[in-house]
Amino acid sequence: MNAVEIKKLTKKFGEKTAVNNISLEIKDGELFGLLGINGAGKTTTLRILSCLSKATSGEAYIYGKSVSKDTKEVKQMINISTQETAVAPNLTVRENLIFIGGIYGYGKQESIKKADKMIEDFSLSEVSGKKAKLLSGGWQRRLSIAMALITEPKVLFLDEPTLGLDVLARRELWGIISKLKGKITIILTTHYLEEAEALSDRIAIMTDGNIKSLGTAQELKKSVGCEKFEDAFIKIAERNI
Amino acid sequence: MKTLVFAGRNFRELLRDPLSYIFCLGFPVIMLTVMTIINKSIPPEANMTIFSIENLSSGISVFGMTFVMLFTALQISKDRCGAFLTRLYASPMKPYEFIIGYTIPIMIIAVVQCFITYTASYIISLIIGNAISISGIFISSLVLIPSEIMFIGFGLLFGSIFNDKSAPALCSIVISLSCILGGIWLDVESLSGGLKKICQVLPFWQAVRTGRMSLNNTYDGFGESMLIVCIYAVVIYLVSITVFRIKMKNDQK
Repeated sequence: MNAVEIKKLTKKFGEKTAVNNISLEIKDGELFGLLGINGAGKTTTLRILSCLSKATSGEAYIYGKSVSKDTKEVKQMINISTQETAVAPNLTVRENLIFIGGIYGYGKQESIKKADKMIEDFSLSEVSGKKAKLLSGGWQRRLSIAMALITEPKVLFLDEPTLGLDVLARRELWGIISKLKGKITIILTTHYLEEAEALSDRIAIMTDGNIKSLGTAQELKKSVGCEKFEDAFIKIAERNI
Repeated sequence: MKTLVFAGRNFRELLRDPLSYIFCLGFPVIMLTVMTIINKSIPPEANMTIFSIENLSSGISVFGMTFVMLFTALQISKDRCGAFLTRLYASPMKPYEFIIGYTIPIMIIAVVQCFITYTASYIISLIIGNAISISGIFISSLVLIPSEIMFIGFGLLFGSIFNDKSAPALCSIVISLSCILGGIWLDVESLSGGLKKICQVLPFWQAVRTGRMSLNNTYDGFGESMLIVCIYAVVIYLVSITVFRIKMKNDQK
């Protein structure tokens, strides 16, 4: 079964078409990259898939459940880490994790157990007692992803997870995301081309709400005869304007 | 369960913000003390009773609630403006769980604030030799619950509509209005004409009045004031719930 199926999905904001009749299938356990320039429709697509926004037409399914009709079931299967850090600032790292466990219906003891596991998996122990607002951007982003994973989602949406981070913090997060590959389905939006190339099993390049090209990084480079992924991206994006 | 988890988070956020203590708890007690000192220096011939402890304590209690409104508005508007609510919107939480989760902790703080203000009033009344009744304090604390709901409703409303920059400004207007037209620093009974009418129509003076009457065991006109406060409380709270739900839906468009 496909983890995600998108069928003729369209999203309009008044006259502006943010997502234009896209169709896509993402396999179970795949790390799928959505690439595009600003306003390409990446975040809007992600918002529709994560039940944060309603499509104007078309439909999307998460493990066979409709994101517009079976919202309750879909929300239990997914989690999201947004491009802005979404943490409770005055709660400690551990409290933030326990809080999200409780919100997804786990009992207190289970939430604590899961929080401790996340602290270990994400090497958060040195900051576990610190208030989230006192953490650096890199640590906050790491916590934000841990908060998304504590609920053991089948599908994880990462919306520009390394935006604004320094190169070291970004590489550390790459390591964390890489470790998740194959275990859960991940849909990643990013502006960093090298990030998409390094992490993604397949990549879709979006411009003006359309999917212009789809394949592995190698396939995309080959399709336009470029050696560098950046050149391939530019060529694909320009070709379709 | 989710409601209580969310309420717990909101409670911790409030308790860990030092401004909550300064504005919600410290400021009313300081105002109570300062106004009592000022009242001592007003000659008896002035016949000014508004700052006497039996009138001042209920006024300050209602004044304190305006800061509860401010903190409600700030918390919601900050959550809305950041990505934190986006994360929760993607969770299985329902709109009513958000609203109750915001209301419970702020209601606890409002009740505690009222208790502290009245306790401080009682201590001050003993010091100045004009003891207020303990049973009056108890009844007045209960009577002021609809007023607390009303101010929390205002906070929910402003926090749902405005961002974290605009919401405090709107709250400041309500704080000023409640001080002036609520009879906290102004003897509304001595007014006449249009201004008095405005004070009577708005809920602030009526809220202070219900507190004063129950504290001093003088219930002439109490029912009318209580009814006005209750109507405002129910209407404002319901409007705030509706607006929050609409904004939540709009945020997801």
